[in-house]
Amino acid sequence: MTTTDTKSKLTRQRYRGIVYGIGGLAILGLFAGFVLDQHFTGTLIYLIGVWIGGGIAVLAPAWSEATLQDERDWELHNRASGILVGITMVFGLSILPALYALEAGSYIEITGVVSGVILTLSALFLLYGVCFGIAKRRV
Amino acid sequence: MQNDLPKRREDEGLSQGELAEAVGVTRQTINAIERNRYDPSLELAFKLAAHFDCSIEDIFEPDQDN
Repeated sequence: MTTTDTKSKLTRQRYRGIVYGIGGLAILGLFAGFVLDQHFTGTLIYLIGVWIGGGIAVLAPAWSEATLQDERDWELHNRASGILVGITMVFGLSILPALYALEAGSYIEITGVVSGVILTLSALFLLYGVCFGIAKRRV
Repeated sequence: MQNDLPKRREDEGLSQGELAEAVGVTRQTINAIERNRYDPSLELAFKLAAHFDCSIEDIFEPDQDN
């Protein structure tokens, strides 16, 4: 029976704590910047935090002896992504055409914010299609 | 998919964490497999079978309704 030396290896719990902790601090720094009218400092804290946290999230599994991520984690991420795309697609296909039809009939006015959201979602769907094509070719 | 992984693991005196380390996954994945909440990939199934020196069919059994 092998023993696991958890003191020298980066454990999964510690890894997630570090990544989420740094990410949380980065977001807090951004909001603090807004509140204290120090937008540049807040943005800087956020950028440094997410790059460090993101770097650890990506590189630590490759460098660590312990298994920090495995096939089940990737499947959960894929399933969550699929559910998100599905919900967004149902929302988009069922509501957005109606919005445009109502606007054409002058019943409502699509504001700049709403138009921006629609364009962003459309771009994300296009990007998803590209990523899907890439993934399909590589399998 | 049904499996007898808990029994095989306990017969060897292994914890979930030790079995996870032996086959290169996290303890949470072994726990999910044992609770029938996750079906392993073919690669992982082969690793588990190799670890217990048996075939995949000895460990895993499809659900009756499949």
